[in-house]
Amino acid sequence: LSVFTDLAFEASVAARSLADYLSGGGLRLGVTGLSRAGKTVFITALIDNLLAGAKLPVLRASAEGRIARAHLEPQPDDAVPRFAYEEHLAALSGPDRHWPQSTRRISQLRLTIEFERAARWGAKASELTLDIVDYPGEWLLDLPLLDKSYAQWSRETIEASEGKARAPLAAPWRAFLAGLDPAAKAEEDAARAASELFTAYLRKARDDVYALSTLPPGRFLMPGDLEGSPALTFAPLPLSEGQPIAPHSLAAMMERRYEAYKTHVARPFFRDCFARLDRQIVLVDALGALNSGPAALRDLENALDGVMRAFRVGRASWLGSVFRPRVERILFAATKADHLHHVSHDRLEAILRALTTRAIARAEGVGAEIDVIALAAVRATREAEIRHAGETLQAIVGVPEKGERLGGQVFDGVAEAAVFPGELPEDPQAVFAGEAIALPEADNDWRFLRFRPPIAARDAPAPHIRLDRALQFLIGDKLK
Amino acid sequence: MSEHRPRPRAFRLDDERVAVDDAPAPAAPTATIRSQGAAIPETGAAEPIDEGERAVEAAQGAGMLARWRPRLSTLVWAGFGGLVSLGLGLWMSELIENLFARARSLGALGAVFAALFLVGIVGLAIREIAALWRQSRIAELHASLARARASDDRDAARALVTRLAALYEGRAETAQARAEVAEARRAIVDGRDLIDIAERALLRPLDVKAQAEIAAAARRVSMVTAISPRAVLDMIFVVAQIVRLVRRIAELYGGRPGFLGFVKLARSIFAHIAITGGMAVGDSLVQQLVGHSIASRISARMGEGVLNGLLTARVGLSALAVCRPAPFAIDKPPGVADVAPFLFGAGKDR
Repeated sequence: LSVFTDLAFEASVAARSLADYLSGGGLRLGVTGLSRAGKTVFITALIDNLLAGAKLPVLRASAEGRIARAHLEPQPDDAVPRFAYEEHLAALSGPDRHWPQSTRRISQLRLTIEFERAARWGAKASELTLDIVDYPGEWLLDLPLLDKSYAQWSRETIEASEGKARAPLAAPWRAFLAGLDPAAKAEEDAARAASELFTAYLRKARDDVYALSTLPPGRFLMPGDLEGSPALTFAPLPLSEGQPIAPHSLAAMMERRYEAYKTHVARPFFRDCFARLDRQIVLVDALGALNSGPAALRDLENALDGVMRAFRVGRASWLGSVFRPRVERILFAATKADHLHHVSHDRLEAILRALTTRAIARAEGVGAEIDVIALAAVRATREAEIRHAGETLQAIVGVPEKGERLGGQVFDGVAEAAVFPGELPEDPQAVFAGEAIALPEADNDWRFLRFRPPIAARDAPAPHIRLDRALQFLIGDKLK
Repeated sequence: MSEHRPRPRAFRLDDERVAVDDAPAPAAPTATIRSQGAAIPETGAAEPIDEGERAVEAAQGAGMLARWRPRLSTLVWAGFGGLVSLGLGLWMSELIENLFARARSLGALGAVFAALFLVGIVGLAIREIAALWRQSRIAELHASLARARASDDRDAARALVTRLAALYEGRAETAQARAEVAEARRAIVDGRDLIDIAERALLRPLDVKAQAEIAAAARRVSMVTAISPRAVLDMIFVVAQIVRLVRRIAELYGGRPGFLGFVKLARSIFAHIAITGGMAVGDSLVQQLVGHSIASRISARMGEGVLNGLLTARVGLSALAVCRPAPFAIDKPPGVADVAPFLFGAGKDR
């Protein structure tokens, strides 16, 4: 049966690609990132800069003055909500400026850039249409599930929860699990209790203090419109290898629901958002994991690896671009680069490179172009130098969010502060050494605070760090 | 951990014990905070320096950057030159003495002329030396920019781009480009990108002018050769045009070369043509032969005109390559077909 569903799935992807190709769809830019990586802010800043015609010196077409203007197109897909660009921008620049709320559903936007081609035989007006999709980052974690059976997923999830970092968080759920017999008759109450405790464990692990990342299924964290439906009422069970699952047992019910989750949730999400991408930017918030400790970083590495495995990467061919588009260029970006001084950006990039080694090796093997940068789509800080206690420190100045604390100080979200977040190690492998998680401030060599968005300048998009470089890599070749 | 790592810390700017920039500072501040203009982080792996760029650098080394080494012929020329200038000095002093012997006023006039002559000679020498210095600086800048771009070196790029902009400080028409470069220097831009920005802003307009000069010279040469009555005349004309073209290109990119500078530049150009001769077989030589054979079938003089035009364009392009203070990075180096397409259409003009 699974062969048949796979075939049907491939066929539906190909059919949609063909329809896209015939209707003249634009360049599909995939903005990938786990939750809180900054997808919404990146998309908002990108659109804002292009619409405002801001100077982007590293984006060649912009520096050469060849971009005439950019404008938003009417929504291409009637079933998908429009990306609330205006609302997000208002949130960032309004009087009570704050980062946009975490995304709860899929939304989409189409942007057209009008530009002139720099051809030897004279300028020629041309257009590039960009399709951008925003979605809750939690859902991304569902992609690795597509290739896993219920038994495999259960085994892996239970094994992971036994790890030193997770065991205390998972204790209530695991205690409940111990008293559960997978072969017992299926009962809705047991299923619901297991699922609730499992969800509580996932939510707790995601907390800022722990900053764990590998927490599928994604809808458990951000249910969207499926809250309470049977497809979300399941949990892993301890199943022994090779043992068949008895019909009408608890395990059988769980397995059915898991498969239903894959069919009705994970697959459509993959098909609609990711199966047909031309370019991809992978936003990674390494700072949160760095705050927590080495175990959180390794967890992030696993999550990214699992997610990147799901994508179709490789050099595009003509026929392929009709039926099976591939991601030709992938940009890995460490977001929130404005939270540290630029002299540390190289080290942050080195850490990101180490985090994504496996994904990079796979993508390079099939001919995709790769780049790694430290990026801040909206730059919330400026740079300064602190002289204190005989040391000269490269620091940043900004308004820390209310409630952030460092060195015994609690910030009120109003006062500006000069912050030295600590020094990242020269060797990126050093940050992966150890088992620690949720490190208290005193035990960690660095502490990255969260800052409020910058006070908006009138008529100009917010400052950024390397947004233009990211654009040059992602769409520069289409603007030649 | 063995190494000492500074601990994370934060200071509120409204704290009374913290000194911030130019604000009135407390008596004994716990910390001093100085705002910085943002600079450019470096990233990325090294890009190899390509063959064409290596050729340009080798050519610059052979002429513009050539170090002075004593040889036997140097001894001969130094001795001879010394004797000639001594003789000249002797003759001059004798002349002035004679003039004084004849009449006091004539002698004074002679002395004034001699002084003018000396001042002029010193001035010329200074200008020559300045031109040589400028030339070698441009060649060095070229090589350093190529290296900084290849290694994406942020600090080097910032310094070099400033030097590049300083080269064109005296030219009013580059004001906007220089402002653009200065702004990019302050923003957070990586080394390679910064060099690209500077190249686009500062050098692209100059490239356009230089290529127009080459095209005009090639056109003149091919036309005059085709209609000139004597071979000797067009030989002289071609040489004069090439000399003029090289001087114009040198002037465009970095000031007058002077006499010695011109000699060094010429050496670099010949070295560049010799090195790239083999490389050019692929693109231009075949076109050259094709163009020549078509034109020569129409008329022998015309074929010669095309050949001379090609020669001029080729020399002009080599001059452009060695005089340009930065390597070609965002644009491909122009070829003969780019600057003088009219030579390949059997005299057909655009």
